[in-house]
Amino acid sequence: MLTDTHLDRTLTALADPTRRAILQRLSLGETRISDLARPFDMTLTGVSKHIRVLEAAELVRRRKAGREQLLTLNPEPMDAARAWMDAQRAAWTARLDALDAALRAQDAEGVAR
Amino acid sequence: MTKTVTLVVRRHYAFPPERVFDAWLDPALAGKFLFATPDGIMLKVEIDPRVGGTFLITERRGDRDDEHRGTYLEIDRPRRLVFSFGDDRAFDATTVTVDIAPAGDGCDLTLTHTGVEPQWESQTNAGWTGILEGLDAALR
Repeated sequence: MLTDTHLDRTLTALADPTRRAILQRLSLGETRISDLARPFDMTLTGVSKHIRVLEAAELVRRRKAGREQLLTLNPEPMDAARAWMDAQRAAWTARLDALDAALRAQDAEGVAR
Repeated sequence: MTKTVTLVVRRHYAFPPERVFDAWLDPALAGKFLFATPDGIMLKVEIDPRVGGTFLITERRGDRDDEHRGTYLEIDRPRRLVFSFGDDRAFDATTVTVDIAPAGDGCDLTLTHTGVEPQWESQTNAGWTGILEGLDAALR
């Protein structure tokens, strides 16, 4: 079950372009933190802050291999957020379909009268 | 800048813009499509169709009553209807904008549902679209 807190964390994490770029990079495979910082023209500290936000949202997992810190993408919270948005969209689509049906029913009644 | 998330849904109708527009403010029709669910029983549809006026649509779903409340912010027949909408799920306050434009044998309706979450206000500005693009990009 997706809670609002989870959803908030996921959407907040995804709302930043640098964090989205980090996730995109991680979607290619496990990456060392030191390699991650390079293309973003950021300090390791700056990248670490973004990674902490992504970790809090459970979008990123970290493991240690010797002296290296390795990150992997966990897409599950994104799937949950997407499911929530899809549900919102489905609800409105159903309502707009029902509006069409209601107008058609009104015409059918008018003809029958 | 306030951060918002926006959802856009479009649909074509083979009815004139005026009829599609009026359906949103007509309690008999609104009760059939707005916040109605197949298994629900519509208990109450109260509509005060003026700017600043409110609506209350109550539907019984199983053993609980779902209340949908809102306030009309803009009424420009038959082009545009804007109302606030209380949703107990993830938003504290949301705004729904319905734009209707003549098209072919009827009209095109564009619904924009914009949510505002206070806890996001301190974050950087980004739209729902950006987030969706982010989802797609990140998953690719």
